[in-house]
Amino acid sequence: MKERLENIFLQVQKPARYTGGELNSVTKNKDEVAVRFAFCFPDLYEVGMSHLGMKILYGQFNNEPDVWCERVFTPDTDMEKLMKENGIPLYGLESWDPIKTFDFIGFTLQYELSFTALLHMLELAEVPLRSADRDESFPLVVAGGPCACNPEPLADFIDIFFLGEGEEVDLEVINLYKEYKAKGYSKKEFLRACTDIEGVYVPSLYDVSYNEDGTVKAVTPLDGVKPTVKKRIIKDLDTVYYPDKFVVPYTDIVFDRAQSEIFRGCIRGCRFCQAGFIYRPVREKSVDTINKQSHDLCRNTGYEEFSLSSLSTSDYTKLEELLDRLLDWAEKEHTNISLPSLRVDGFSEELANRLNVLRRAGLTFAPEAGTQRLRDAINKNLTEDEILETVTKAFKGGWTAVKLYFMLGLPTETMEDIEGIAQLGQKVVNAFYQNPDKPKGKGVTVSMSTSCFVPKPFTPFQWEPQDTLDQLHEKQQHLKESIHTKKISLSYHDAKTSFLEAVLARGDRRLCRVLEAGCQRGFNLDSWSEHFDFDAWMELFAECGLDPAFYANRRREYDEVLPWDHLDYGVTKEFLIRENKLAHAATTTPNCREACSGCGAACWKEGVCVEKRTDRIQ
Amino acid sequence: MLKNVRIVFSKTDRAKYVSHLDLMRTITRAFRRAQIPLWYTEGFNRHPYLTFAAPLSLGHEGLRETVDIRLEEEMPMDEVVARLNAALPQGIKAVEAAEAVDKVKDLVAAEYTITIHCSADRVKVLLAQSEILVEKRTKKKTMKTIDLKPYFAGAVVTEAGENLCVMEVTLPSGSTENVNPGLFLTALSVSVGEEIQAEFLRKRLLKADGTEFL
Repeated sequence: MKERLENIFLQVQKPARYTGGELNSVTKNKDEVAVRFAFCFPDLYEVGMSHLGMKILYGQFNNEPDVWCERVFTPDTDMEKLMKENGIPLYGLESWDPIKTFDFIGFTLQYELSFTALLHMLELAEVPLRSADRDESFPLVVAGGPCACNPEPLADFIDIFFLGEGEEVDLEVINLYKEYKAKGYSKKEFLRACTDIEGVYVPSLYDVSYNEDGTVKAVTPLDGVKPTVKKRIIKDLDTVYYPDKFVVPYTDIVFDRAQSEIFRGCIRGCRFCQAGFIYRPVREKSVDTINKQSHDLCRNTGYEEFSLSSLSTSDYTKLEELLDRLLDWAEKEHTNISLPSLRVDGFSEELANRLNVLRRAGLTFAPEAGTQRLRDAINKNLTEDEILETVTKAFKGGWTAVKLYFMLGLPTETMEDIEGIAQLGQKVVNAFYQNPDKPKGKGVTVSMSTSCFVPKPFTPFQWEPQDTLDQLHEKQQHLKESIHTKKISLSYHDAKTSFLEAVLARGDRRLCRVLEAGCQRGFNLDSWSEHFDFDAWMELFAECGLDPAFYANRRREYDEVLPWDHLDYGVTKEFLIRENKLAHAATTTPNCREACSGCGAACWKEGVCVEKRTDRIQ
Repeated sequence: MLKNVRIVFSKTDRAKYVSHLDLMRTITRAFRRAQIPLWYTEGFNRHPYLTFAAPLSLGHEGLRETVDIRLEEEMPMDEVVARLNAALPQGIKAVEAAEAVDKVKDLVAAEYTITIHCSADRVKVLLAQSEILVEKRTKKKTMKTIDLKPYFAGAVVTEAGENLCVMEVTLPSGSTENVNPGLFLTALSVSVGEEIQAEFLRKRLLKADGTEFL
């Protein structure tokens, strides 16, 4: 296989994506390890190699002397063609061995549109798609990540889902596997035993029945397994494993830099945001830990840039202190710090200058909605005054470009809210021209980018219908017509991919056969527009006798059994119903540091749930 | 002005799939990991000063490639080499470091060993032709026909096994004239009528007088 591979590397674009051997990649002797794990990211190398979760788990698995974890990505079209022509099945980048000979094939589920790439990878690996068709000679196929919170569209293909944070539960399963493998137990016995580990969901041990209208009637546990599976969380982020080195790719990737995670979860509770609910409660790392981990990573990778990673950087409680500490060595070593998801308004001028915040990132806001009423309905805590104040300050400092992000199709949205988007853009333009110190001879560019709202499980909007394609197109058109200045450039995300995303996000097990049929037709990498074929998808749904609108555009009743109701992410259904009602009343909910709203995540007694809050002190 | 330090390095095995652009990034990061005090350019977009004398084609191996740096602080040359080797990824190895003697423009040629998966006789047939014409893509993306004959006049071919031979050849490699040895393989494949495989190894970089570029 080595020789066949060497022959094709020089015939493909960017071969360094397929050769392995990057700095800090881990090679072991396969005869000296007990478990071989293929960590698969169902997308191209450039995308998958940018993902922090994979770096954490790759490092952690390989920290175990008798486990060898390798990386696997979706090959690009040219590589896939040559692999097929030369009889090369999907292989691990480190060993170049086919992953069908491994013990585990694990996938990370970061976005719904990667589901087809996942199945495609199994096919390239020469592994049967359905769990039921894989006997003991095949690897166990496992998956985790945010989309595992509703894994039902993949239930027929995956042996084990990991719910929540993987650092602990994954290794517990691997260790149990080692034990069972040594004792010669069957796959069935192993799967049953796994369900005793918290955070492990074995879909084949649950039977789903349906009502005549297509909704779920009941999810019945089989073989005496728990009726609900609870997600796992890491209790102490200061002591949990974090890699001190990353694999450093040769070729350019999307985020080619070191990343330091500063906290998990988000205090904000924006009602459309799944991450804001499924990663609760907020748990921070200490300044000391972050400082050490960042410095170690930069030293061991040689990266000239590192970013602080979290859902909302500005909410880190000791941000100024942290940045002071980091800048102490970063400036000396010519290392840049990048701060994504940052609210620039709260910064002292001195710190902003040291960080070069604006030069690097430009000015970006995500108001998400055009009117205060709708921003209140979605609980997006950002006012027009705050935006205008910050842009005015920035314009004074010589900046001439602002980016604004919005969503179309949010629950309760009216055409008035759409017009509000255009008006907000206009106000930003006006703020530029009203500024007496504006840069001479320069105009302003306001780039407005709109995506389409996708209702997600475990959010207050999980019952909401997504706007139909016609409605979304109408809103896009209306927005375009509401803009009367050339200073605003408008771009929108393709509504059709958002529609498919909505179908898969809240889908049930009947979608497995659609995905399987899609795989047989060669569907792959649907998050890439050049691969996504909407009409082919619609044909496929029709052939499978399923109506995608049932999943995307239907309002669900509060008492409907949802396909993911047997999975427990801490936040309770009662809380989500309460939040849904508040949304329809355009009433906001305070963030976790202002007041506890009783979402349910306090069951873990960790992080912000047990911090001294201002409301308790007073 | 700080003096240029020229580092001689090899790039073999899996590292041959690292493109020139990726190599610059890779080597820069290796210097940073090695904590070698590189001199950074001044200005708005500061970056370390790093100059490669001659880019190596993707898929080719090199035994004595060079990269020039400048040091912000003094460091013994053997320490530069040792530190760098501890920090470089597999396939790239620092061989030696010394103050640069020659100017980059003095580099005019390179010595190659090409292992060709084809009998020596067939290669010799091609070499014996009065001209060896091949299509070459120019920088403007148009095609141009060139004659390889004069460049390969000094090539020495020896049998190395069944359907395997080794060619030693010195070709122009510099800013004024450059001949990629891969062109010969293209011509050979056309002449033989099938796709021939070959491995390319650049052994040394040379000045006009035939001595090594250092």
